[in-house]
Parts: sequence; C-alpha cells; structure tokens
Amino acid sequence: MLLQDENLWYKDAVIYQLHVRAFCDSNADGIGDFRGLTSKLDYLQELGINAIWLLPFYPSPLRDDGYDIADYTSVHPSYGSLQDFREFLTSAHNRRIRVITEMVVNHTSDQHPWFQEARSSRENPKRDWYVWSDTDSRYQGVRIIFVDTEMSNWAWDPISKSYYWHRFFNHQPDLNYDNPAVREAMWEVMKFWLDMGVDGFRLDAVPYLIERDGTSCENLPETHEIIRDFRKRIDLAYPGKMLLAEANQWPADVRSYFGNGDEFHMAFHFPLMPRMFMAVKLEDRKPIIEILEQTPQIPDTCQWCIFLRNHDELTLEMVADIERDYMYDEYAVDKAMRINLGIRRRLAPMMENDRRRVELLTGLLLSMPGTPIIYYGDEIGMGDNIYLGDRNGVRTPMQWNGGWNAGFSSADPERLYSPLISNPVYGYQGINVDSQRRSAHSLLSWTKSVIQTRNAFRVFSRGSIEFLNPSNHRVLAYVRRLGEEKVLIVNNLSSSAQAVELNLQMYKKHIPIEMFGRNLFPRIGDLPYLLTLGPYQFYWFRLRRI
Amino acid sequence: MAEDSFLADDFLRELMSVGEVDLLVGIPSYNNASTIRQALQSVEESLRQNFVRERAVILNVDGGSGDETRQIFVQSSERRDAGHKGLTSLRTIHRIFCEYDRSPSQGLALRTIVAAADLLRARACAVIAPTTTNLTPSWVANLLRPVYREGLDFVAPLYVRSRFQGLLARDLLYPMSRAVFSQRIRELYSDEWGFSGRLASQCLEQDVWHEEAVRTRPEAWMAIRATSAGLKCGQYFLGPKTAAPAASGPDIVEAIRQTVGNFFWCMETNQPNWIGPANSQPVLTFGPDHELSSDGIPPSQEKTFDLFRSGVNELEPILAAILAKDTHAQVKTIALSDRSKFHFAGELWVKTLYEFAASYHHAVLNRDHLVQALVPLYRGRLYSFLLEHANSSGEAMETQSEILCQEFERQKPYLIERWTAKS
Repeated sequence: MLLQDENLWYKDAVIYQLHVRAFCDSNADGIGDFRGLTSKLDYLQELGINAIWLLPFYPSPLRDDGYDIADYTSVHPSYGSLQDFREFLTSAHNRRIRVITEMVVNHTSDQHPWFQEARSSRENPKRDWYVWSDTDSRYQGVRIIFVDTEMSNWAWDPISKSYYWHRFFNHQPDLNYDNPAVREAMWEVMKFWLDMGVDGFRLDAVPYLIERDGTSCENLPETHEIIRDFRKRIDLAYPGKMLLAEANQWPADVRSYFGNGDEFHMAFHFPLMPRMFMAVKLEDRKPIIEILEQTPQIPDTCQWCIFLRNHDELTLEMVADIERDYMYDEYAVDKAMRINLGIRRRLAPMMENDRRRVELLTGLLLSMPGTPIIYYGDEIGMGDNIYLGDRNGVRTPMQWNGGWNAGFSSADPERLYSPLISNPVYGYQGINVDSQRRSAHSLLSWTKSVIQTRNAFRVFSRGSIEFLNPSNHRVLAYVRRLGEEKVLIVNNLSSSAQAVELNLQMYKKHIPIEMFGRNLFPRIGDLPYLLTLGPYQFYWFRLRRI
Repeated sequence: MAEDSFLADDFLRELMSVGEVDLLVGIPSYNNASTIRQALQSVEESLRQNFVRERAVILNVDGGSGDETRQIFVQSSERRDAGHKGLTSLRTIHRIFCEYDRSPSQGLALRTIVAAADLLRARACAVIAPTTTNLTPSWVANLLRPVYREGLDFVAPLYVRSRFQGLLARDLLYPMSRAVFSQRIRELYSDEWGFSGRLASQCLEQDVWHEEAVRTRPEAWMAIRATSAGLKCGQYFLGPKTAAPAASGPDIVEAIRQTVGNFFWCMETNQPNWIGPANSQPVLTFGPDHELSSDGIPPSQEKTFDLFRSGVNELEPILAAILAKDTHAQVKTIALSDRSKFHFAGELWVKTLYEFAASYHHAVLNRDHLVQALVPLYRGRLYSFLLEHANSSGEAMETQSEILCQEFERQKPYLIERWTAKS
C-alpha cells in the first residue's frame, strides 16, 4: 500500500464508538477502565472493526459525561492511568485497530485550573482565556443548544462578578480562541496525545469556537482559520493522523469544514441519520435520497462519517419541523424518550426489537458512502433505560454474558456506575455477547459477517454512489462503483413484500452475485431487472462481467 | 364473455409500484397543456401543506391529448423553495399518467380513477379539473379533508356564482335533485369533487360504465349513488371559480342532454331509493352554503324567447306525448303571450319537468329526443327568469330559488303519481 493511501486509513475504517466507563471493569470498582477495555480488544478485532472512538476519559467532574474536562493530559482515575492508556493503545495497534480520542476544544469544565485562574481575578493572565462580559446582552439571538436546561448562553460568575459565555451547560465555559495563547495551549494538548500514538481526534462542538457580534456565532470564518492552523501543524508533524469534526449542521454548512482538503478529514453527516430512521418508518426512500441530493461533493481526501446511534440523543436539530414531529410521534411517543431536540434511545428499541429492521438499517449504514460508526452494544441489540436521566439511558454497561453484572464488573451491583438493563426483553440475561457468540444466526454473528463483507471490498468505503430510481418508492437501490468494482444494493424499506424493476442497462450482461451467499442471479439483459424482496429485506450484489 | 381488463398492464405496473395510499387525486385531461402544470403544482402544494404524513398519488387520466399534456405532467419538477433545507415533504408524492382511451370521456376517466383508488386502497380521493385556472392548494385540501378526516363519502364543491351564472343548476338541477333525492347538494354537476375509497369501490362494481349518462357526467351519478346508499355526503365552499375558455362556446342543447339526461337516468336507476315523500335534508356544509356575487349582467337573450316560441310550435306533437294536456295547454298559452310580459311560473315549470321525468321513465319516445325536447322549454323559463331578475339582488334571487325548491318538494307526490302510473 502506498504511503499516501495508508494515510487515508480513515476512509476504509469501520469505527466502534465506546465509553471506557461502560465497557469493562477490571478492578471491581463498578466503573469500566482501560485495563478492562484492553482485555476486550480480541472481541473488537473479531467483530471486524478497525478503529475505536473513545468518549472522553479525562479527569472531569463528570457533569456532562466527561465532556466537561478538568485536565486534558491525564486519565480520569476511575479509568486507570496514563500507563494503562498507553498499554491499551499499543494493544489496539498490535491488532491493527486505530484509536480516535475526544478533543473537547470549545470549552472546559469550570473546574479546570485554567478557568479557576481566570475567574480568580480580572487581572489574572488566564482571564482572557475565556469569554467574559459585564452584561448578558452580548451576542443576542444566538441559539441555545441545551434548551431543556439552559435559559441563556451567559452565566453569572459570583467570584469575578461578571458573565461568562457557554454554548452548552453553564458549568462548561467556552474558551476564547481569539487569544493565541489558548490555541497554543490546545495544540500542546494535541501534541501530547499524538506523541503517544493516538491516530486521530474527534473535535467536539467545532462550529462554536469564535464569537462575533451580530452573527449566529456559528461557523464563522475565524473558526475555519483555527482549524486550518491545527490541520497544517498536524500534516507537518504527524502525517496520517486524522481530524473528525462534530458539526451538527446542514451538509452544505458542514462542507466548509472540509475546506480544500485542508481542514477536517472527516465530518459527521448528522442530517442523514434521522432520515434513515424516517425512511424505514415511512416506507419511502425519499428522505434519504433528498438529503443526499442536498449533500455537496467533498475533496477526494475527505470522507463523511455516518452513524445510526451514538452516545447522545438522536439529534433532530437538522430536520424541518414536520420531520421532527413525525420522528417524535413515531419513535418517541413517551415523553421520557425525548431530550433537548432529540430522542434518547438505542437502535434496537427504536426498531421495536425487530431484527429485520435492525439489520436493514445496519446494512444501509455499512453500504452507503462514508465511514460507518457502530455504537457499542448495538451489535448485540442492547436496550436502553429512558428513566436514567440525561442521556445515561444509552450509556449503560456493556452486556458480556448472562452472569454477575452481565460480566461487566465483579463489584457489587449497587456499586456499578449505572444500573444494568435487566428487563425481560433487552436484559443482559438474554442479550449478551456470550450467548450470541454461540449462535451462527445471532445479531452479533450477522453483524460480524456484514462488516467482514464490507471490509473485503473497498468499493464500499471509497466508491461512488449512483441511485437507481425504480418506480417502487419503497425500494432504495443504488450502485457503488470504484474502478471496475461494482456493487448493487437493493433495500426494501417496507414491512411488506415488494417487487421492483431496476433499470440496469448500464450493466447489461453483468451477472449479479449475491454477496452473503455468493449465489449467482440471472444475467442482466435487455429488460428491466425484476427482483422480489421480503419485508425489510436487502440484497448486496457484486456485478461481474464474466 | 367477461370484459377484458380496461386497465393497461403498464398502468397496473405503476400502481403496483406505488402500493397502498391514503390519498388519490385524479386529474382528467384532454389537451390541457396550457393549464395542467398549474393544477399539478396546486395539488402537490396542497398535499405537502395539508397531508404531510399521508401516502399520496396524483393520477393524470388522459383522453388522448394531442398536445404536451403528458410530458408536462410527467416531467414537471416538484416546486422547491430556494434555500430550503430539509425535506419538502416527508413522502414521495407519486405521479402516474394513464391514457385511458384515444378520445375523451369523463366516465372512462372516472372509471380509471376509481379503479386505481380501489386497487391502491385509497381512503380519500378528489377529482380536479385542469381547466380551473384559479385552483388553489386549499381547494384540493377542502375536497379531501372532509372525506379523510370527517368520514364523509362524497364532497361536492360550492362556488361563488355571479347572479346569472349556473342558471341550469339553480333553476333545474339543484331544486329537482333536492326534491327527488332529498339531499341539498347544490353542485351535483361539477368538475371537482371528493369521494371516499369506499364509494369508489362500490361504484367500480356497478355495471353501468357503458351507459351514456355515466360516460358523460359520472359525477352526479356518483353523488346520487352515495345518497341512495345512505353514505354521508357534504359540500365545501371553495370560493369563486374561473376556468380556461372552452374551445367551443357553451352549448345549451348538449348541456341539457348531458345533465338532465343523466339526472333522469339516475332517477330511473335509483327508483326504489327516492319514491317517497319529499323530505329534503341539509347536508354537512363547510363554509356558507351559497354565495351569489352581485356582479354580472344578464346575458343577451334576444333570440331566446323566439326559440322558445318556435320550439313549442315545432315540437307540438312531441310535447303532446310528453306533457299532460293541461300542462301542454298552459305552455302553449304562455308561448303566445307578449314577450315583454312573459312569465313562466315556477309551478308550471316544476310540473313540466316532472312530466318530462315521468315520460322518460315510461319511454314514451326515444329518451334522447325526449330530453332534447326540454331545451326550448328551458329557454322559455330562462327568458322569464332573466326578465324577472334583471335588477334583482343576489339575496332576492336566492329567496326565489328557495321558493322554487319548495315548489319542487310540494309537487313531488305529483311526480310519483305520474311516475308510477301505468302507461
């Protein structure tokens, strides 16, 4: 493999997102840790993923699940030590698994020493590391993100008797990126982890780095300058390392974060995710097609990151009102399932534990353009607990077996950082890795198989996409193409059997070979290609001209 | 021998692709290239605004247009606001084009629409005329919504009429249908209406589609079928209606052949459902149940009286076969009166019509000829009406209309007597 190609590893990745705290506890304190995680790397290798995205593991008061960092260059004592992290990193690399960590650049915890110094007096040298004001009327009209909890983007600091700016919780003051010292400090943090061998960063809350009067304080040109600066430094000193943007914006707005290939390598495609769920509920491909039509081209070296579920709520910020109402009514009837502008549920419960729909959505995730992210536990169909508050219901301990604490920890159950899922449908006694390992037909085995198939064909990670538009709108069909490699994907989005006629004239004389069973289908001829699909069924075909 | 399927395989294939729907909007067309785009956009806009979550299909049934109606319908892109983010609608709004024949027929068009509604299991349907130039999205919604949300089976439109517009409906079709079928639906004969999937399925099963009355004016048959079957009917006030000018001007003979002929045929085929006392009931009405605008000037009627007089004279043997002696005598008397003092009384008009209907039933002569024989008498009544109301306000005219309706109801026993008499 050419070096240049090796540097594009993120394009071919299948990322597994996990929280150290939730994965495996090695020291019986009820909290997952790096040693526990390291012990489970064989499982992840077996699953077929080739990158891990770790949620924040830094020292933190944990008032926002670690996104309130109090020390950027250490490990939260509950999760182990820096040495434990190093060992984990080495073990992952030995298995050809890359490691992506969180870089919460926009804000710190109010417990971070930087903020403690800044608030200590108006003359403190760190004072200007945050955004202060004597009034709470600056930047009027800027939207509040956590609408359920915050009334304003300003919070009063009784110590220094002024307001500080925060786009998220009030205990997360925004850093002042107009101050070059802040940029340098953050670069030092990045270097610290890159030197250790981390393969990339997911930069949290990127659009909000800079504030300007009279603007939305989002996606400002100065923010892009900062990103370009970080990227330039990384390319020079750490080639092959990757930056992933968390910018919950419309695709056209996120496009600017790729720049000319000189900003982020990857960015999440937020609007696609709810529309995949919507399409399956509506039994209509329109939501997916329409949002992808609105998705601009990105530079060759860049890639979208796509996902079904993650540690946050299923965000409904980037949808129209009609779409949000529909999603709430269909997927979050119980108000407890809703938080902010989103839905705090896992994949399997959202699909009413319908294996066919879980597979269909996973199949979509793994066959559409972009680097897929699998959220821990979704590969076995884990459930959630919507009554745990905030988004903790989707952050419960990984279910390894049907034994003590689901095999997650040998601590007393009362000590666990979170209760296990134990209801009769999704409880760990039935839904766990060990039991699913035993069956070749389990969701876990199926997921392994589909990831393996994806990994075997680079057309999935790098190929173009061309939508077919059969008159049957319940069927979503597309061809992925990379050089001579062609794959036809046909998905039945509906709960009933469907017939579809595909115009495959461009592929006349090709033979479709079903990719899971490797069976030959009739050669493509002059007539429209007729397929029938069962409820929620999908096919992946290699198109070969033999 | 069983009739071959009247639905083409290609059309069936398209229906199959669409699958089950909640809403179906049919647009019958024939050489409507100049107006169909606007109609289509209004329909799509209406579905987007009012039926966000519903599965919908727009069906253009065409009678062999020689212009670009088809291309425009199929190729018009969905309107999209500049800078719009997110979905324009949740679902695909399907479009299907179907040429049902090489010559236009309202009946064949409707048969195709109701067949599609039945196969797609549509819950609510509407028929929209592409010739209506002021069709708004709200019209479509107003025809669909009472069916879809209120459970009605038939929704007729109500339009703002100028004082001298729609006289055939106001002086004949509405009052007579109200008395005969006991439902106060003002616009039985229109180009736009809504209906339920249930009614569509019932209509589809009827072996009447080859009948001339249904081939030409199927909408009234459908409405009467709904009232006869005890289904819920209503009407929705849509506002003023303007239509693209027809290629040929209004032809009163053809209009009467189609509407009155159709109405008599409906009486004939629904006899068990209306023989009984007049007891008309208002139907569920959304908005005002009528509105006559004060504008409009009486149309020139220079020849109308002459045509009435000559018709009564020339058709004497035919009218003698149709009308009772006394009625015929009264008609002949007024035909001889001074044109400036001419008056065709409501009482006589009602009796005349009921005798025509009964004669139609008894088939005293060729039914089409019989209906055409009504034309000169209608002209006489029209002339009298215009003479009487040249300066009347809309309100005064409406009062007179109501009096006429009551006269139709009062004389219904006479209709039944004539109708059931042994010939």
